[in-house]
Amino acid sequence: MSKEPRTDWQRQQKQLSKQQKSRNLASWALTAPALLWLIVFFLVPYLIVVIYSFLTPDIYDVKFEFSMDAYRQAFNPDYLRTLFQSFKLATFTTLLCLLLGFPVAYFIARAKDKTKNTLLVFIIIPFWTNLIIRIFSWRIFLAYNGVLNDVLMNIGLISQPLEIMRTDMAVILVMVYVYLPYMILPLYSVLEKLDFTLLQAAMDLGASEVKAFFSITLPLSIEGIFAGSLLVFIPALGAYLIPQLVGNQRTLYLGQVITYKIKNIPRNWPMASALSLTLLFFVAIMLILLFTLYRHRRNRGHA
Amino acid sequence: MEEIRIEHVTKDFDGFVAVNDVSLTIHSGELFSFLGPSGCGKTTLLRMIAGFETPRSGRIMIGSADITDIPPYKRQVNTIFQNYSLFPHMSVYDNVAFGLRIRKTPKAEIKDRVEEMLSLVKMADQASKYPDQISGGQKQRIAIARALINKPKVLLLDEPLAALDLKLRQHMLIELMNIHDAVGITFIYVTHDQGEAMSISDRVAVMNHGKIIQAGPPDDIYERPKSIFSAYFIGETNLITGEVTAIEDDYIQLKCPDGTGNFLELDSTYNIKPEVGKELTVSLRPEKIALSRSKPRMQDDINMLKGTIEDILYLGTHTQYIVRVGLLKFRVFSQHKRVYFDDKALDWEESVWLFWHDSDTWLIDEIPEHDISDSAEGGVSHYQRSVKRPAQI
Repeated sequence: MSKEPRTDWQRQQKQLSKQQKSRNLASWALTAPALLWLIVFFLVPYLIVVIYSFLTPDIYDVKFEFSMDAYRQAFNPDYLRTLFQSFKLATFTTLLCLLLGFPVAYFIARAKDKTKNTLLVFIIIPFWTNLIIRIFSWRIFLAYNGVLNDVLMNIGLISQPLEIMRTDMAVILVMVYVYLPYMILPLYSVLEKLDFTLLQAAMDLGASEVKAFFSITLPLSIEGIFAGSLLVFIPALGAYLIPQLVGNQRTLYLGQVITYKIKNIPRNWPMASALSLTLLFFVAIMLILLFTLYRHRRNRGHA
Repeated sequence: MEEIRIEHVTKDFDGFVAVNDVSLTIHSGELFSFLGPSGCGKTTLLRMIAGFETPRSGRIMIGSADITDIPPYKRQVNTIFQNYSLFPHMSVYDNVAFGLRIRKTPKAEIKDRVEEMLSLVKMADQASKYPDQISGGQKQRIAIARALINKPKVLLLDEPLAALDLKLRQHMLIELMNIHDAVGITFIYVTHDQGEAMSISDRVAVMNHGKIIQAGPPDDIYERPKSIFSAYFIGETNLITGEVTAIEDDYIQLKCPDGTGNFLELDSTYNIKPEVGKELTVSLRPEKIALSRSKPRMQDDINMLKGTIEDILYLGTHTQYIVRVGLLKFRVFSQHKRVYFDDKALDWEESVWLFWHDSDTWLIDEIPEHDISDSAEGGVSHYQRSVKRPAQI
C-alpha cells in the first residue's frame, strides 16, 4: 500500500496539515524573542532567588550550605507584622483609589468624545514626569514649613504647622496619588462600554439612581474593578520608594525591610529572598482566589 | 383606568425644537401609535411620558395626576426600549423579577408573578437562561414581561420591532396585539414604519417637525389625509394640484395640470369649501385607479384620462405602472388577475385609459410648498404632479 493520498479529501487534509505546521512555526518564531527575554531575565532570576532563600548568609554574599533559617525567621511575628502593614497599606490604597477613581472614570466615560480625550490626557500627564521627582514635590508640598502649611497658616486656618510629612497618612496620600491612574484607566475602559440605557431601563422599572447604580452599574463594571484593584494592590504590596521618602521609620513596610536586608552589612540575601517569596506566595493565593471567584461568576448559568 | 393627556408640551434641545406645542388625549386601554420620520419628535414625546426628558413647557397628565416632573422610577409607566436593554448580568428570571425586587415584594409573590408573566410571553421554559443566550424575538418577549410585571398604567414601546427581521416582525406584531388584548392597559407605540402603525393601532398620530399632523384611526388617515404630509408619508399617492374651474351641486371640477386641457371631477361632499379660480390639491391613491385598453363606458361619477404606459414594475402582490398623461405621470397599482380586461397583459408604450370613481380623488386643503415630485421634467409649469416614493422599501 502506498502512502500517497488517494482522494481529494486526503490531499486536502495533507495540504491543511502542512499549512498548519508552517503557521505554528511562524507563531513560534514570532513569540520566541519575548519568550527568551522572559526566561533569561525573569524566570532565571526568580530561580536564583528561590535557591538563595535556602542558603546560609555570609557578610557580603552567601555560603552554599542548605538552611531553612530564612523561612523560620520570615514567619516570626516581627516580620509577619511588617507583612501585615504592607497588606494594610495596599488595601487602603486600593480602596481609596477605587472610591476616588470610580466617579472620575464614570465622569470621563459619560463625557462627550472630544472632552473624553482631553480628560484622559490629564490622567496620563503625571506619567510624563519621573516618579522620584513627583514624590519629592510632595515632600516640599507637605513639609513642616512647606507650601501647604504656609498657605493654611496665611489664610489663618491653622496657627501651628501640621505634621503631615513622615506620617502614615503622608504615605497613603502619596500612594493614592501615584496609583490612582492605574485604577482609573481600567475602570474607564469598562464604563465606556457600559450601555447607559440599561440605567434608564432600571429607573423605568422603579429603581432610584442609587439603586440603579448598585444593581446595574456596579455589577457590570466588576471586571474593571478587578483589573484596577490588581494593578494597584500588587505594586502597593511591595511599595518601597514612597514609604522610604515620605514615611517614617516606626512603620516599616516589607519592601523596605527587604531592601535593608540587602543594603545593610552584614547582608542577608537568604532572608531578603525568603521575604520576597513569602510575599509572592500570599499574592499568588489572593490571585487564585480572585480568579476562581471571577470564573465562577462568569460561568454562572452558562453550563 | 385613566386617560393620558398631553397639554401644550414643548421640548427643545440646544435650540432645536423637538416637540412643538403638542396637545393630545390618549384614551385608556387604547393602542396608540406615534408615526413619523426620524427626528420628528415621536421618541422625545415618548421619553417625556416615560420621564427621561422634562418638557420646557406644558403638562403631561395621567388621569388627574400631573406627572410632568415626577422621576421615571415613581411613574406607573414602563418602557420597552428599542434595543430591549435587558440586564446582561441577570438571568431571564431575574430580569423579569427586577421591578418587583426593587419594590421589596415578598419572594413567593415574585415567583408566582414572574412565572405568570413568562407564560404570558411564552418563555416559561427559558427562565434560567441569560440574555446573550436567547434570540432577538425572545429578548423582545422578556422585555415585555419585565415591563408588564409592574402592572403599569401605560406601556411605552419605542420602535420595539426595529431590530427584528421581517417575518419575526410580522409575528411579534400579532403577538403584541394579543398581549394588549390580554392585559388591557394603554399601549403607546412609536415607529417610523407605517405598516406597523397601521396594522396594530386603534389610533395613529402622524408627526413631522415636532408637530402632530393628523391623529385618527388608521383607515381614516389613509383614506382621508388632511395634509400633503400624511397623504404621502402613509402609503403612496398621486398628488395633483390644479385650478378649480366649476363648482356644481354634486361635483367640483378641477383643471388637470397635464397640459391637455382635461378636467378632473371631485365629489363635492367635502368639509372644504373651494372657490372657483383657486388652486386645490388632490390625493389619488394608486390602487384606486383602474386601467383599460378600451375606453370605459361614460358615467357621471367616473374620472377618465388617456395615457401611455411608461414603466412596469412587477412587485409580486401587484404590479406598479407608471402612466404618462400629457405632462403628468400617474402611479397605478394593479393586482394580477388571471383574467384581464382585454386578452393580454399591458405592455410598455401601450395606450391605456385610467379611470376612477370621483370620490377617490381626495381633496387636501393645502398647496405643496416645494416640489415633491420624483422626476425632473422639462416643460412642466408650476403645477406639480407628484408621485411619492416611500423612504425605504
